[in-house]
Amino acid sequence: MNSLVKVVQGVYHDSVSLMRVSQALSALQGVEVAVVAMATPLNLDLARDLGFEIPPAEPSELLVALRAEDVTAATGELERLLGELSSRSVATESAGFPPRTTRSAARLGEGNLVLVSVPGEHAFGEALDAVEAGLPVMIFSDNVPVEQEVLLKRLAEERGGLVMGPDCGTAVIGGAGLGFANVLRPGPVGVVAASGTGAQQVTSLLDLAGVGVSQVLGVGSRDLSEQVGGVSAMRALRLLDEDPATELIVLISKPPAPEVAGAVREVVDKLRTPVVTALLGTSDGDLTSATAQVLDRLGRPVPDWLSWSRPVAKGSVRGLYSGGTLCTEASLITPGGFVDYGDDVFTRGRAHPMIDATLRLEALAKLEPGEVALMDVVLGHGADPDPALRLAPAIEAATRGDVQVVIALVGTEGDPQGLRRQAEALHQAGASVFTSNAQAARHAAGSAR
Amino acid sequence: MTLLPADPHVITVGADLLGEALDAQAVPRTPVEWRPPLRGTAAALARVLADPRRSAANELAVGRLLSARPQLVGVRPAADALGLERGTFLHAGPPITWERASGPMRGALIGAVLLEDMAATEEEARRLLAGGRVRLDPCHHHGAVGPMAGVVSPSMWMFEVRDAEHGGTAYCSLNEGLGKVLRYGAYGPEVLERLRWMGSVLGPSLRDALRVTGPIDLRGLIAQALQMGDELHNRNRAATSLFLRELAPALVEAAPAHAAQVLRFAGGNDHFFLNPAMAAAKVSTDAARGVPGSSLVVAMARNGTDFGVQLSGLGDRWFTGPAGVPDGLYLGAYGPADANPDIGDSTITETSGLGGFAMAAAPAIVKFVGGEVGDAITATRSMYEITLAEHPAYQIPGLGFRGTPVGIDVALVARTGLLPVVNTGIAGRVAGTGQVGAGLVSPPAEAFIAALNALAFDK
Amino acid sequence: MTLGTQRRVHPLTHLTGAASSAVRPVLESARAPARVLAAVSMGVYLEVRTELEPSVIALITGEATRLPNSVLLAGELPHVSVGDEAAVGDGVIELGRYRVKARRWWDPSPALPSVDLVRLAQATSALSPQTTRRPGLEGNAAITLLASGCAAGSLLRAVTAAEQLVGLGPGLTPSGDDVLAGLLVALRHLGSAAKVERAVWLADWLAAAVTFDAGTRTTPISATLLHCAARGEASPEVSAVLRGITGQQALEPALRRLLQLGHTSGADLAQGVRIGLDSVLALGARP
Repeated sequence: MNSLVKVVQGVYHDSVSLMRVSQALSALQGVEVAVVAMATPLNLDLARDLGFEIPPAEPSELLVALRAEDVTAATGELERLLGELSSRSVATESAGFPPRTTRSAARLGEGNLVLVSVPGEHAFGEALDAVEAGLPVMIFSDNVPVEQEVLLKRLAEERGGLVMGPDCGTAVIGGAGLGFANVLRPGPVGVVAASGTGAQQVTSLLDLAGVGVSQVLGVGSRDLSEQVGGVSAMRALRLLDEDPATELIVLISKPPAPEVAGAVREVVDKLRTPVVTALLGTSDGDLTSATAQVLDRLGRPVPDWLSWSRPVAKGSVRGLYSGGTLCTEASLITPGGFVDYGDDVFTRGRAHPMIDATLRLEALAKLEPGEVALMDVVLGHGADPDPALRLAPAIEAATRGDVQVVIALVGTEGDPQGLRRQAEALHQAGASVFTSNAQAARHAAGSAR
Repeated sequence: MTLLPADPHVITVGADLLGEALDAQAVPRTPVEWRPPLRGTAAALARVLADPRRSAANELAVGRLLSARPQLVGVRPAADALGLERGTFLHAGPPITWERASGPMRGALIGAVLLEDMAATEEEARRLLAGGRVRLDPCHHHGAVGPMAGVVSPSMWMFEVRDAEHGGTAYCSLNEGLGKVLRYGAYGPEVLERLRWMGSVLGPSLRDALRVTGPIDLRGLIAQALQMGDELHNRNRAATSLFLRELAPALVEAAPAHAAQVLRFAGGNDHFFLNPAMAAAKVSTDAARGVPGSSLVVAMARNGTDFGVQLSGLGDRWFTGPAGVPDGLYLGAYGPADANPDIGDSTITETSGLGGFAMAAAPAIVKFVGGEVGDAITATRSMYEITLAEHPAYQIPGLGFRGTPVGIDVALVARTGLLPVVNTGIAGRVAGTGQVGAGLVSPPAEAFIAALNALAFDK
Repeated sequence: MTLGTQRRVHPLTHLTGAASSAVRPVLESARAPARVLAAVSMGVYLEVRTELEPSVIALITGEATRLPNSVLLAGELPHVSVGDEAAVGDGVIELGRYRVKARRWWDPSPALPSVDLVRLAQATSALSPQTTRRPGLEGNAAITLLASGCAAGSLLRAVTAAEQLVGLGPGLTPSGDDVLAGLLVALRHLGSAAKVERAVWLADWLAAAVTFDAGTRTTPISATLLHCAARGEASPEVSAVLRGITGQQALEPALRRLLQLGHTSGADLAQGVRIGLDSVLALGARP
C-alpha cells in the first residue's frame, strides 16, 4: 500500500459533494481508504486517526489523503471527479459573475424563497440576507448557534418574514420539497413542524391515505424551546390560517417547553382554521394517532397502515435512529436504549445519517445476539437514493447474528426511492417493515415483553 | 399578498445535493457560489452581522457617500488651506516613519525638504529626515489625499473640493505630469524647478480662473468622463479634456499672460484631472465617516510599505497589511524587480466606486493593466458582490448604464473573500527613479480581517 | 407523419419533473398506449387511450405555458416525432427510450380566499381591454351574447353562444375555446370565493354543455383543456390572475404575463376571465 497526502489551495466544494467523491474513490479496486475533504480541524483529525501524516493546512484548503496499491490511478480518478464538480461551477460562471452571497442572488430579483445549507457556523449571514431581502428562508444547516436562531426569527417577525429551520430539514412550499421532504400530492392539510422527521411521518402517512398537503413548514427543532419561544411556529400558524388552500393545520413538535406549548396553544385557539396538535410528550398521543385524527376531521377513512411484518422473539430494544422526532416518539412507546444519529454531535463535520448510513451500520453490526434493532429509514428528496442497497446486506448479517431488525420506513410511493421497492428489499433481507413508526416501536416493544 | 410563493424560485446556498433535488423537481433556482469566509473572520462576522445597528448604519453611511456633490471651489497653498506649518510634511497612506519608508517615499520627502529650503543638499535633507526633526503625518488626517508618495509641503498648491450636499471639504495636490516627478520619488533639479513653477504660476492662474468660472461640478464631470471611457484612476484623458474645456476661457480672461503655458502643461498630461477626482472621492467618502456600527470602508491608502483601510464605524483608526507589488505592464526595460510595493492615496477612487471598480467603463486601458476587455467587465461585476450600492450618477454604458459598484462593505469582503480591485501606477523602488509601469494590485486580506475583528470586538 | 419508426436500441433516459395533479389519475392508472400528437420546440403532446380526462398530456420545458394537463420537465424535451408510440400509466410515461416520472405535484386549481363583491369590482378596471394584446374574437357576436347571457344568468343564451364558440378560430387552441376556458374557471372560482351560488351553478351547466361534444368539435388538445377548465383547472398564468383579482398577489404583473401567452391565447383567456368576473358581479348584485 502506498500513501499520498496533499493540500490543494484555491478549491472549494461543499462537504456532501466531497463525501461523494471520497466514496467513489474508496469504492475503486485497490484503494484502501480515501479522504477528500476541506481541511477543517475535524477533517484533519479524522485523517490523522486513519494513520496519515498531515501537514498544516487551512480550512479553506482541500485535503486529499489516499492509501492505495496504485496511487497514480487513484489520483487520476480524483482529478476527473473534482473536474466534474468544477465544470458545474464554470457553467454558471459563464452566464455572468455568479452571485457569491444570498444578498447578491436576491438582488437578481427572481428568487422568492431561500434554502441555506452551508455549514452551520456560516449559515447566519446567508439567512440574514434572506430576511433582509424580505424572502422566506429555510435553514437546512444544523449546528447553528441558538442565539443566532433567536435573532433571525425575531428580525423575520418584525419584518413580516418567515425563518424555517435550523436543524429540521424539511419544507414543502408551493409543491417544492426543500431539504429532506417527500414527494407529496397537493391537498388541504397545512403542516407546521418543529420536527423534520415528525412532519415527514405525518405527511407520508397522509399521502398513503390519499390526502395531500398545502404547505409543510418546518420551523426548526428548537423552535418550541424556551429560548426560541415558538416565534416561527406561531408565525407559520398565522400564515397557514391566511392560506386559502389550507383547510386543516397539523402542528407537530418534539416535547416542547411547557410555557411555550401554552403560548402556542393560545395562538391555535384564535385561528379560524381547525388545528390538530401532535406535541410529543404531552397528552397529544403519537404521530400516527395524530394522522388518524386529521383524517377523521376531514371525513376520510383511516386505512390499515402498510407493513411487511415478521414475528420477533423477545429481546431488549436498541433504537438506531436518523430522525430525532421518530427517535423520541419510539422511546416514548417502548423502553430501550435509543440513539439519534441525526443529533448535532454526530453530524458535525459529516453528512446526515439520512445521506450516509455508515455510523448506524457500524452500530447495527455491534448489537448483541437476541437484541432487537429498531431503525428508521427515511425516503424522499435529499435522502440516500437507495438506502436498502447498503442496509439490506447489513440486515442479513445482523439476522444471521441473531439480531432482529424492525424498521420504520417513512416515505411515499412517489419518492425517488419508491416506498414499495425499498420495503420489499428490507423485508426480504429479514426485517419487519412498518410505515408507521409508532407501530414499528410497538412491534419491537411487544417482542421485548 | 402572501409570503409563501405559489410558484417557487429558490435561491440555494450550500450543498449541491439539495440543489440537485430541486432541479429534479423542475423548480427553477439561482445557485449561490458560496465559499467559506476569509480565515479568522467567522466569529467576527457573526458578531458584526448580528449588530442591530449595522443595517441602518450602512444605509446611512453609503447614502451619504452616494449623495455627495463634490464641487471644485478653489486652488490654494497648503500652508493656507491646511494650516500646514514649516517642518510638517504630509504623505500618502497610513502613518509611517522615515525608517520604514520605501524608496519613492523617501525620495519625495527629500524633494519636499529641498523645495521648502530646509536643506541645501540631498545629504542634509536625509539627515534632517532621519533625525526626526520634521513631522510626518498622513494626508488623510488633514482632509487631504495625494497620489503615489502623496507628499505635501506648506508651499505646494492644492485643489479645494467642497461637498455641496453635506458641506465637507477635501484637498489634493496639483498633478506634476509624468516622467521624473516628486510623487514617484524623483527630486532632481528639474523636479524642483517644476514644483516652483507650479507654485508661482500654475496654482495662482488656476485660482484666478476658478474665480471666473465659479464652482465646477465634479460629480457631473466624472459621470460624463465615465461615459467617455475613463475610470478616473488610470485613465483620466476624457476628464482632463472636459475639465480644460471648462477652464480654458476663464484662464484666458483671468490670467492672460500665463494661459497658454498653463493650458499646454495641463493639456500635455492625461492625468491632470486625477487629482481633482481624488479630492472629489475623498470629500464623498468623508461624508460617510463616523457612523457607529457601520462596516463601510471609507478609506484605502498605501504608503509604499503598508496598505491601510479605515471604516466608517471606527473613526480614524487604520488597519494595515503589507502593501503588495502590482501586477502589470512595465515601461521600457523596467521589470517587476524594479517595482516598489503599492503606494498612494489614489485608491480613494476605488473606495468611492471609481478606478478598478469602474474598469468596465474603460476598455481602452485593459491592455495597459494586463488583461482583456472581458477581464475588465468581470472585475467590475465582481465588485458588486462586495459593495452596498450602485452609484446613481456614475454609470457604465457597457453594462446597460448600470451604476458603478460603490461602498465597500468589509463584512462582504470577508464573506466572499473577494478583495477590492485596485488600478494603480507602479513606482520604481529606488528613490528618484519615477514611474516604471502600471497595473492591478491586490490589497492584503489582513487589513480587512483586522478591521472586521476590531469592529466586532473592540469597544 | 411517421408511424412506429424503428430506432436503434439506446439505454433508457430517466427524466423527472413537476406534474399537474390533474394528470395523476391517468398517470397512476394501469399502463395504457399513447402516441405523440404534436412535437414542438417547447412541448410534446401525448394522446392517451383512456376514458379519463385529461386524455392529452403535455410534456413541456420551463419556457412554455404551463397548461393544466402538463408535466414540466427538469431537463430538455425528449427528441420524438409526431406519431411516435408511447405509453402512460403505473406512475410513468414511456416515450421511446425516455422514462418520465413526477418528482413534484402542483395543483392547477387555484385556492382563493373568501372575497366580497366590492373587492372583486376593484379588479375590473385592471382587466379592461388592453391596447397591445387583442383577443382573437373581439367584437364577435357570439362573444357579446355569451357575456350578456352569463351576466343575466341565462343558461339558454350562454349555452347558445358557447356552442357557436367551441372550436372557433385557428390553431391548436382556437380562440373560442380559450375564451370559454377562461370563463369557466373564473365563474367557478370567483363565484365560490364570493359565494355567488348562481355563478357556480352556471359554471356547472355551461361546463357540461361545452364538454359534451368537445371531442368532435375542436382539436384534441383544446378539447382536453376544456375538460380541465370545466373542473376549474387552469394554467398557473390564469390562476395568478385569479389570485390577483382576490388580492392574493399583484394583479397587473400577473395579467401582463397572461397576455403574453401564445399568439392570442393569453388575450382570449383574459377575455374569458373578464366575462366571468363581470358575470359574478352581476349575478351577485341580484337580490
